[in-house]
Amino acid sequence: MKIIRKGDIALIAVILIAAACFMLWSNSKSEAPQAVITVDGEVVETVDLQSVGEKIIIEPVLGVTVAAENGEIWFEKADCEDKLCIASGRLSKHGDTAVCLPAKTAITVTGSDVDAVVY
Amino acid sequence: MKKAAVAAVAVLAAVLAALLAYDGIINKEATADFFAMNTYASAKITGADSEECAALAEEITQSLDTDILSRTAENSEVFLLNKNGGGALGKKMRGYVSVLLDVCEKSGGAFDFTLGAVSDLWNFGGNPSIPDSAALSDALSHSGYKKLALAENTLTYADKAAVIDFGAAGKGIALDEIREAFAEKSIKEAVVSVGGSVLLMGEKQFTVGIRNPSGNAGSYIAKLHIPAGCVSTSGSYEQQFEENGEKYHHILDPETGCPAKSGLLSVTIISESGIMSDALSTACFVLGHEKGAALAKEYGCTAIFITENNEVFVENGSKDIIEITDGAYTLI
Repeated sequence: MKIIRKGDIALIAVILIAAACFMLWSNSKSEAPQAVITVDGEVVETVDLQSVGEKIIIEPVLGVTVAAENGEIWFEKADCEDKLCIASGRLSKHGDTAVCLPAKTAITVTGSDVDAVVY
Repeated sequence: MKKAAVAAVAVLAAVLAALLAYDGIINKEATADFFAMNTYASAKITGADSEECAALAEEITQSLDTDILSRTAENSEVFLLNKNGGGALGKKMRGYVSVLLDVCEKSGGAFDFTLGAVSDLWNFGGNPSIPDSAALSDALSHSGYKKLALAENTLTYADKAAVIDFGAAGKGIALDEIREAFAEKSIKEAVVSVGGSVLLMGEKQFTVGIRNPSGNAGSYIAKLHIPAGCVSTSGSYEQQFEENGEKYHHILDPETGCPAKSGLLSVTIISESGIMSDALSTACFVLGHEKGAALAKEYGCTAIFITENNEVFVENGSKDIIEITDGAYTLI
């Protein structure tokens, strides 16, 4: 008399494979490019860049205007003196970052293929 | 299905559930974004204590700034030293000052953390402009690391008008303090950036982009494949302004009090220590490629120089660590 039949072994194998796949997936999932806008460290808006077509305007904080269009996002207007945030230009690729220090506002495109950019 | 088989499947399922839960704990991710030391900082941490560490990174950087390194926060250690023309140093400050004085000495003064009065005239953090030349010479005459004397735990200013400034080392110091705090926690990996100086912790091989000197923040021209450590870059593209058709950047040559002209766009330093990577990147930028390479070698650090001709040199390290990703730049 067999205690474990072939079908049972198959079932066990399926469970094992499914679990292994899940672990691999959860450790290596890559994200679609999303632009995350933070003000003083708090996320105020997340924009799925792939789905942005027509121009949209976001005002994350008083005095700062962020625009997104055709998969790109950028600081369009800012009340700060240096305008370095506007000079950062348009962001679209994984890891692109622009920061407005006076307004404590940052735009970061997630899912970079590098761990960090040194500058 | 036989009972034994059902039991076997149940045990397996329980083991797998436990494994998945364990995986979820040891690979728990936390991130933090914050503004400190007049710059932008971010942290990404994996591990059981990731959330605690993300909060800790911010706390450490903020308190290091306001309690110790800030030149403007009243009652910070540096504020009081500048106000009183020296004084007794705390244990941490004693360590920072002694490392920086060594870099000043070994770089022949190309690195100097006593240029506070000169930096104020340029006002790079605010609304920068070319300073009046008389005011600049006056500020320079009150600057220079040789005006400082460190004996035991006391720092004495020979010229009470000298102003020490940790602008070229503070971000690296923050990385060292963060690493020390994280060492006691349960984490697998951490990547912390304080104003573009980066701390890497963990067993894996990390990939770090070197900022494109003529591109957007966040865009890079090369990837570094390196193990855990600290990486800092000093570049002429940061805090730049234009006046009368000429561009002025924030890395001052201590000899002239003006932006350093050494034929470089940026220098990147890889070191075990954050204070060293940060200070050396400035020193090597001011010294230029040849002398900078010699200094990096003296400290046992790898240095990557990007020249104004878009040539990339790896000094005191293997070229295998770098992968150029932008065709406009050539690895020599």
